[in-house]
Amino acid sequence: MGRYDFRPLRVHQTATQLLQANKGSSPPPWYGVVSNVPPAQALVRTQPLPHAQRSRRKQTKKASKLFQPQQITYDEDRLRKEFFGDHPWELARPRMVIEDDGRDSYKTDWRRIEQPEKGLSGERSSVVQRQMHIQQTDPDMPKAAAYDRARKEFYGLRLLEDTERRVAREEAMWTGAQFGPSMMEIGMKLEDQEYDRWKAWAEEESKKLEQQNAAMYTDTGSGGFEEHAPPEEELGEDDPSEVTPYAV
Amino acid sequence: MIVRKALIRHGRRLAHSPRQWTRSLATETDLHDLQDTTEAIDSSLSNATLQTKSIESQAEKSGVQYVPQIDARTQMSQQLLGDGTKYVYDRHRRQQKLQNPLGTTVDKGYQPHRLLTDPPRPSDITLELLLASQAHLGHKTSHWNPANSRYIFGIRQGIHIISLDVTAAHLRRACRVVSSVAERGGLILFVGTRPGQDRCVVTAATMAGGCHLFDRWTPGSITNGDQILRSCRKQVVDEFDREVPEQGAALKDASALKPDLVVCMNPIENWVMLHECGMHGVPTIGIIDTDANPTWVTYPIPANDDSLRCVQVIAGALGRAGQEGQANRREAALAGEVTYRPNRPKRIADRMNASPRAVEAATGLANTGDSGMGPAADGVANRSRNSEVDKNLGYHRAELAS
Repeated sequence: MGRYDFRPLRVHQTATQLLQANKGSSPPPWYGVVSNVPPAQALVRTQPLPHAQRSRRKQTKKASKLFQPQQITYDEDRLRKEFFGDHPWELARPRMVIEDDGRDSYKTDWRRIEQPEKGLSGERSSVVQRQMHIQQTDPDMPKAAAYDRARKEFYGLRLLEDTERRVAREEAMWTGAQFGPSMMEIGMKLEDQEYDRWKAWAEEESKKLEQQNAAMYTDTGSGGFEEHAPPEEELGEDDPSEVTPYAV
Repeated sequence: MIVRKALIRHGRRLAHSPRQWTRSLATETDLHDLQDTTEAIDSSLSNATLQTKSIESQAEKSGVQYVPQIDARTQMSQQLLGDGTKYVYDRHRRQQKLQNPLGTTVDKGYQPHRLLTDPPRPSDITLELLLASQAHLGHKTSHWNPANSRYIFGIRQGIHIISLDVTAAHLRRACRVVSSVAERGGLILFVGTRPGQDRCVVTAATMAGGCHLFDRWTPGSITNGDQILRSCRKQVVDEFDREVPEQGAALKDASALKPDLVVCMNPIENWVMLHECGMHGVPTIGIIDTDANPTWVTYPIPANDDSLRCVQVIAGALGRAGQEGQANRREAALAGEVTYRPNRPKRIADRMNASPRAVEAATGLANTGDSGMGPAADGVANRSRNSEVDKNLGYHRAELAS
């Protein structure tokens, strides 16, 4: 095969040939090891583990997809889609992806929704796992009812968390903590800034617009409009020191 | 009449104590008597001083004169004793000891540094450990190398998931190879050139008694080793790892050593090194991700090479395997058994007249002109070891380059 270089896999055979060619030489330290522990097979393609059943219609003669890896699917995926479709902001909660020793599944007991090993917000699909457990232990219960039950338990714990947070804030303020401006205050401030910026821009734009309009109707491009004319009170005055740009 | 009465009154007294009588008549002094008395006083005084001096000298001779040293520390400790600080501190410590067992015991969980200070052994390899170390996370499905489709469990969230039982099997096989090569006195090189892999590579090399490399591999270190590794120090050691100094003169003409086994943590970046190893028949072990070519190494370990935790677990396990092999070798040496075939340093081939066979003879397995292989004349089992100052091939190459 042209594209492949099998020399790393054939070190033992190469060494054997060299030893045969040079009778006086001694084998290297790894020679016996590699003969006792041979390398694994390479470039072998086997049929992958079937995660999903291949539909009868697609079982054609051409098996180009037969050796491709398959999508891993779980029953909980449907439940996850439903839950996160109804509660999209749960996806925004921070998520801990580092595991301790990989034995989390041995320590969780889904007879209740609260798991001391991992927080409620740590694994967001605790609703999903709880729902699965309810469905498995109580097959007569309809799926919607199981979902509702798990969901209500979840809401109870979330409300508890919110209450704890609120109480903690009050306690902190009582003991002297100072919190910065709240999200509402920050938002209002930003809005005010934006409004001021817009106001300045709008004044400039309106001035430009008026000047354009004025240019349309007059030669010199000055005066003409009521707004630019001096106010009514000043018409009677005849002060030569005042320079009036408009002819009265 | 008065005089008569005075005499009668004081007569008896005067009769008994004539000296007092003389003292009471102070107006008339007798010079001779005065001189006598002063002399007596002087002598008694001198006697007294002599006595006190003798007492002092006796005291000095009998006991050691203790003068307490006054330094800052002693002063401070005296102060603390005085104002009660020490008492308060001791009480606080006693309270702590009493209260420590109370309350919850917090589990320490995952501690990243323990992968370097106490790496897992080959017997500690479990699927759970590999899962927690993110060894199953491959690359995007479009970036895969179909040659390692056998190692892939499936597709999830757009990436390939590596089969952890396959990973565990290959890792155990690699550990077996490393420990066996170390037991036979082979030189193992651990290579990991990505940022963050230096510590685990050094730890593994130290445990296995081999060499490490965490800088760039200079191309030609094996194919052109006599040139590139010219300035590296070589040494010959016996079965107890003691240097044999008599062979020092012969080492000047000795060719550069090749590693007997190379362990690579990131084969994609080090493909040049792996190619050289393939050319010169050096077996290699490497962490093969879903986008790497498994035929580049002799013993692939299908795992995630982008996760530092996974690399540390694998390097730790291989290092521990090397440690076991070294321990077995030393044990056998103490029992009088040499687990390897001793060799002599090979001479550098003449480059002008070098034919491929001669070069191979110098740098490969063949022997150059020596009568035969076997133990050295003095009966000591020697093996050559290419040991640089820091056992870091990359360090010396950086020196050469600068």
